Amino acid sequence: MDSKTTINAAGEVPATLGEEIGGAGKAYFDDVVIDNILDALLELSAAVWTYHDRVIVLEKVLADRGIEVSEAIEAHLPDAAEIAEREAERAALVQRVFGSFVRRPTARPNPINPTAQKGDEQ
Amino acid sequence: MNRGNIGITPRPTRLADESYLEFITSFRRLAIQEMFPKVAEHGEVALAKALETGEVEAPADGETVKLSEIRDVFGKNPVTPTFQRFVRTQQEMMWRRTRESFYQDIDGVMASMAHAEEAHPERLRIDPDFVEPDYTRREIHCQPGGYTDDPMGGIVFHYGTKVFYEGFNDQDELHIELAEKATKPADGKAERILDIGCSIGQATTVLKDLHPQAEVTGLDVGKPMVRYAHARAVNMGKEVHFKQALAEDSGYPDDHFDMVLSYILFHEVPVAKMKEIIAETFRVLRPGGVFSIYEFPSNDKNQVSASNRFLIDYDSKNNCEPYSPAFVASDFRGIIEEAGFEVEQGPLLTNPFLQSLVARKPA
Repeated sequence: MDSKTTINAAGEVPATLGEEIGGAGKAYFDDVVIDNILDALLELSAAVWTYHDRVIVLEKVLADRGIEVSEAIEAHLPDAAEIAEREAERAALVQRVFGSFVRRPTARPNPINPTAQKGDEQ
Repeated sequence: MNRGNIGITPRPTRLADESYLEFITSFRRLAIQEMFPKVAEHGEVALAKALETGEVEAPADGETVKLSEIRDVFGKNPVTPTFQRFVRTQQEMMWRRTRESFYQDIDGVMASMAHAEEAHPERLRIDPDFVEPDYTRREIHCQPGGYTDDPMGGIVFHYGTKVFYEGFNDQDELHIELAEKATKPADGKAERILDIGCSIGQATTVLKDLHPQAEVTGLDVGKPMVRYAHARAVNMGKEVHFKQALAEDSGYPDDHFDMVLSYILFHEVPVAKMKEIIAETFRVLRPGGVFSIYEFPSNDKNQVSASNRFLIDYDSKNNCEPYSPAFVASDFRGIIEEAGFEVEQGPLLTNPFLQSLVARKPA
């Protein structure tokens, strides 16, 4: 199960969900680095869009309130708590984009992680 | 946090989730609509050339090119593993983020289903002693927990399939089409209608709209599916019934239903179970009743193109469709006829990949 998934108070969610998309995952290229680069490209593109979408919404919300923010954004200096918070978000982005390189560090067969599969395996 | 609905589809709980999942939807459109045709075109041309040069042995009359040969020839073009990588990755991204998003509101979603059950307990039948057979407990389409094991599986399936359908089924457009095209009995009598393998009841509710006087029931093996289906129908103001049961052991009397519908159910079960479901459907349909079937292509004797065989093989291994290759290779129509049905070609859906059959129980 995803580590970020919340189990509700009744504890109704079994702990073993998500085996199909978990583990070391599948590889489709002889050179697994290509798989990892393409995974990273997808996550990076999703992240770019997500942030762009948020900026669009943010600007519309502020404009609705008659607030001009461009200069204030450039002048903004974070405090320690904000720095830590933004660092954690940045680390999560790095993990999403580049996590595949850690998930599949070597070509098949992977002597360390035997759950790693070739894409033509069930 | 509950951010409401997009029409009749639940909205992800955070803007960032919605943006991320909308990106995946757009990406999936490119992969399926633009990239797979390149895989197919290049693969078919390369296969024809390999057959011509003798690199691939030509099959004997009535036989088909071996799947392993198709895999080898298609795999030589770099667009093929790229397509495979992208489709697998977007599917993993989609399930992870969809679950993560809706689990933010797990208490709200669970309470909504419980509330609907308090309001209309007579419309949902769940036998507390029911045990899902092992063959049904697979993470079909890579959905964590599959149809059976994630209590939040219904809402996760709903949004997950919104992405799968590339945004073209947000308002049940596809289910409206297939319910509208479901064939009525020749005598016009349609008082009881059954939707087998109904998942979250998207066709079930439309069948009720089309046949308001009929008792319409959706049946599915997944408790998370029928609980969500029931809550969804109650919230939509639709008086339909749902039941957790096996399609091969529905528990209904002989000759009970006038119409039965199945949509892409049979390729998700082993062939032996497929035969049992067909026999059970024959039993519960009344003489003159009609079984409308929309399904993967089948009877793999040169009737399914090499590129579609390649796609189904890939899908089976990479999208957790463990039973689909055996289904595709089966004589599905012949099996339905053997069960006693009179079978004819049914109305085709907009999706040309699917076959459509109408099976009538002789009057």
